[in-house]
Amino acid sequence: MITFDLRLARQNFNLNVEGEIGRGITAVFGPSGAGKSTLLSALSGSTRPDHGSIKLNDDVLFSSEDNTWLAPERRRIGVVYQDGALFPHLSARKNIEFGYKLTPAEERKFQPDQLISLLGLSQLIERKPDQLSGGERQRVAIARAIAASPKILLLDEPLASLDVARKMSILAYLKQIHEKFELPMVYVSHSISEVVNLADTVIRMRDGEITGTSTSVELLLGNVPGETDIEKYSNQFEAKIVDSSGDLGLVEVDGVKISTPKLKGETGDTVILGIGANQLIVSLGKPERMSARNVLPGDIKNVSTENGRAYVEVDAGPKLLVELTENAVNDLDLKVGMPVHLVFKSSNVEVYLEK
Amino acid sequence: MTSEATIIFLSLRIAALAMLIAIPSGMILAWLLARKEFRGKFLLDTLVSLPLAVPPVVVGYFLLWSIGGNSWIGKAWESLFGGNLAFTWLAASLAAAVVALPLIVRSFAAALQGVDPQLETAARVLGAGPWRTFLTITLPLAYRGVLAGVLLGFVRALSEFGATIVVAGNIPGSTQGIPSAIFTRLSTGETGTAWRLAFVSIAIGVAALLVHNYLLNRARESNTKSSENTR
Repeated sequence: MITFDLRLARQNFNLNVEGEIGRGITAVFGPSGAGKSTLLSALSGSTRPDHGSIKLNDDVLFSSEDNTWLAPERRRIGVVYQDGALFPHLSARKNIEFGYKLTPAEERKFQPDQLISLLGLSQLIERKPDQLSGGERQRVAIARAIAASPKILLLDEPLASLDVARKMSILAYLKQIHEKFELPMVYVSHSISEVVNLADTVIRMRDGEITGTSTSVELLLGNVPGETDIEKYSNQFEAKIVDSSGDLGLVEVDGVKISTPKLKGETGDTVILGIGANQLIVSLGKPERMSARNVLPGDIKNVSTENGRAYVEVDAGPKLLVELTENAVNDLDLKVGMPVHLVFKSSNVEVYLEK
Repeated sequence: MTSEATIIFLSLRIAALAMLIAIPSGMILAWLLARKEFRGKFLLDTLVSLPLAVPPVVVGYFLLWSIGGNSWIGKAWESLFGGNLAFTWLAASLAAAVVALPLIVRSFAAALQGVDPQLETAARVLGAGPWRTFLTITLPLAYRGVLAGVLLGFVRALSEFGATIVVAGNIPGSTQGIPSAIFTRLSTGETGTAWRLAFVSIAIGVAALLVHNYLLNRARESNTKSSENTR
């Protein structure tokens, strides 16, 4: 766990933040220039703040009071940068082994080979960074950071320059790594759709200050000015392929079967699905004889309204967020605990990743 | 009369020692100029380049004043090793190092500026200390530009005449390199030797410049390539 209390003054910018980062995935969310990256570089030891303190578990990384400043190489904090910052003269493997070799043997927690296979890098491991695609470079960067056995992993807009499909695939990897290695992560982003799907906790920043800390869903339901990604919010989850032989695919998640567009993978493969919150229809009774292929029963877990829009969270196996008009919520009198059915077409299911 | 081979060999030896002095100090100066912000940076930049802008004779005169028999460096040298530091081949190397330094610092600084500082930050975060970062990341990425700078500095040191003759004299077999040997042969009318030594100078210069330009072109290509990849 990291606790920090930092002040830093630059020509056109002041950072003044206080907070803590727990063991889960914490997102730092805010517009460009909010100070997100500066906060990360203070935590990793690349920027020295003027005043304050940083503690990682029981270790003091920085304290202006007793003039302590631990150099970055002594912090065991991993960082994944926006463009990867891979060493261009080294192969992917050498990049990944760079920090691993500098880690004392007794502190090594993750083997490079394990990370290479986990992140699907075996085929391209001897290539130089300029022979890798953007998504591949980021996967190498993630493997490189984790191979150095950090106590916490900081990700500074690691997916900003990637297209949606690659983003989803890498987010899935990150989630997997987090669960498998119990590695705390801090994920910086100005895109709400990345943040809500990955993080448990969201720290909001603006103009060099922390404006609030909340859970991802709270953030989504709250009013976040200037954020247009809300409309695009897509429910994402992992599912296993049950049948990929037909024109439509069939997958299973938490015991629920979902019909999807045609799938390329094999039965048993894992895929990432996304269903836009505004693509879901809520029905009170069980709809019969519908053209839409998916009808999932579930219970309402949460209802909230904001600016004429309503958000209903339904536990239908996977937890899905539904965006409705306030009118619809009032007409149907939707309340927490009510059983409903969610209806959506298989063509509204996005298949992001077929591993 | 010393043989032409001796003159050429002595010249190479003086220039080689000059490089041993100028490369480490040049790298430190270049690193400060390329990577650090501090007060007086502008002044340091100017001072480093000054030998390019004043007559070499003036540089030699200043050096003589700093290391001559009456200076504290000269006196310290005499009490430690006996004899003069001025008018030795070491003094010739020192003069060559000082006039080569601006070229070396400029080349090194340009080479270091071609390396993305974020790569150094990334190496530090991965557990490499400042030295290891420099040796395993910065230097391998800047080596073409660094090598080009060393070549340029080396041929400049080989060609050094004005400063050398003031602080080290023109002593055959000791401080008389190719340029001062040519000067002497011309004044004594041995134009055949002078021509041959001149030809050697030109050959070394042309070879060094060809390699220098080749390295710089390669460095430029690889910089564009890597910056395209990060976009």
